[in-house]
Amino acid sequence: MTIHATRTTGATGATGATGAVRDAAVDLRGLRRTFRSAHGEEVVAVDGLDLLVRPGEVVALLGPNGAGKTTTLDVVLGLSRPSGGTARVLGLDPREAVRAGRVGAVLQTGGLLPTLTVGETLRYLAACHPGLAGRRGPEAADDALHRAGIAHLAGRRVSRCSGGEQQRVRFAAALLADPALLVLDEPTAAMDVAARRAFWDAMHAEAAAGRTIVFATHYLEEAEAFAHRTVLMARGRVVADGPTQEVRSRALGRTVSIALADPAAARTALADLRPRLARAGVAVLDTATDGPRLVLRVDDADTAARLVLDVEGAHDLEVAPGSLEDAFLLLTADATTTTARTTPTANPTATHTATEVAR
Amino acid sequence: MTALPAPAATAVPAPAPTGRVAPLSPTLLRLELLRLLRDPVTWIFSVGLPGFLYVMLGTSTEYADVSAGHGNLAMFVMIAMAAYGAVTATVGVGGRAALERTQGWGRQLGLTPLADLTWVGTKAATGVVLASLPVLLVYGLGLALGAEGTMGAWLGSLAVVLVGASLFSLLGLAIGLGFGTDQAVAATGGVVVVLGFLGNVFYPLSGVLLDIARFSPMYGYVGLARYPLTDGWTSMGAGPAFHDSLGLLIANVSVWTVLFGLVALLLVRRARSRQ
Repeated sequence: MTIHATRTTGATGATGATGAVRDAAVDLRGLRRTFRSAHGEEVVAVDGLDLLVRPGEVVALLGPNGAGKTTTLDVVLGLSRPSGGTARVLGLDPREAVRAGRVGAVLQTGGLLPTLTVGETLRYLAACHPGLAGRRGPEAADDALHRAGIAHLAGRRVSRCSGGEQQRVRFAAALLADPALLVLDEPTAAMDVAARRAFWDAMHAEAAAGRTIVFATHYLEEAEAFAHRTVLMARGRVVADGPTQEVRSRALGRTVSIALADPAAARTALADLRPRLARAGVAVLDTATDGPRLVLRVDDADTAARLVLDVEGAHDLEVAPGSLEDAFLLLTADATTTTARTTPTANPTATHTATEVAR
Repeated sequence: MTALPAPAATAVPAPAPTGRVAPLSPTLLRLELLRLLRDPVTWIFSVGLPGFLYVMLGTSTEYADVSAGHGNLAMFVMIAMAAYGAVTATVGVGGRAALERTQGWGRQLGLTPLADLTWVGTKAATGVVLASLPVLLVYGLGLALGAEGTMGAWLGSLAVVLVGASLFSLLGLAIGLGFGTDQAVAATGGVVVVLGFLGNVFYPLSGVLLDIARFSPMYGYVGLARYPLTDGWTSMGAGPAFHDSLGLLIANVSVWTVLFGLVALLLVRRARSRQ
């Protein structure tokens, strides 16, 4: 709907023949970030990540805990420096982009001062922007409160706000300087369902205004409802990148399940089916037997369904969308083997990301 | 709906920061003070306690009127209690500033173009304003309850107490950055009490203890604050009167300020490198 239309408005960053993009909102190449653990071992949080986000895009970073989403966003925000590779934001060094007031962000762990009211908090943060000097500060603060839908909370102490309300205070703070890029790290984590809906409604308005939005989430529904493009991350790498629906079907697959005569028959059928599915070009992401039921998670449910119905005694076929939780478990266990085939072909930035995924 | 408003947000460039960095933001100073003054702990411990201690220690009829240089002993005690209150305030502001910087609020500020200089300047000003509350209370009590001295002793000591206290915000900053916990910053009140005893603030020292105390951080500061009153002489307590030269007191303050500053700087660097 409205979101798709906005993509054209922001598509000013022209792609050259070589694939190099000028004026990219976010341009990460070979990004690597390591930390030292308490025992002195090197822990790799982000491991050679390539990500290109163009102006006006709305992109979801989807992945399980520990996938490197927060670390990646910290680098984009200049809060953390890369251990390797390069990071550019709006054509600038990330810290410079933030200093220029061009990036707004909602952090997962951004603390607030409990003794200030919501309105004072916004006026405080407005005063931190040299571009909002004098009377423009309070005006920008009031405007941000309205846009975040929390003008009614202006007089309330931050300590008396719920977790969801505090998150919307951070959202208002992110809007203060009218940024070109909005970065949100699991923005709805502390919200109930109603607050979550109100938050995304407010975000739709910001997207319609042409802002580039990058957000991390582990809710597939949020990626589906809001992002045209989803980047699936696991163990510090991009494992799938493309239109959200495509990433969903390819990376998460669908679950095809069918009943057989008894548990033994189910196990036999599974052994028989494996080579036949492989010959038909169906990628099997996961398998299980549940009593007499055989459960397959595959990328191509139609072909798989035809094959399993051919098995003698097979009945009661069910096809369901793959669950993100299952996919996360699998991705966490083994990020490379099961997803190597999921490179989407329709990805407009495939030149930039395909090599990474195929590795 | 396909008709969309013009993408104003990306078309209009964000306001660029002005070239010169302000060393102080009035809005931030006002809000920082508002935060502190809303906290009853500030009133009780930072402001009330030094006033209470002065009334307890400085108004005793037995010795308050004893002559001390250009005034009386009540003034001698008054200067010490004001200095204690001022240092408690600035160490606390410095310590909490360090915590804010390294905890969640620091990340929130890290998302703004706020310059380090503006932040440091605003925090330093916050410390001085906060320190002036117990100082003015104690001096007011002194004026009302019998402290006596020449105009030079009143104004000179007041200036040294206020200006010198700001140096101790560096100590608070170092403690906050070094330990990085709320408990450490809460414990700075105790640290100031210990430094106060070593600095000849609460109780007159003598002998070996005094020889050691001369090298402690608050000794030079309080000695300088009392200088307009006593010209460096101290004659309280059982021991004989002794004298500290102006040079020695200034050297004490200078060395400790440089030390606190260096430690704070090293800890700031360490915090930066972890990003």
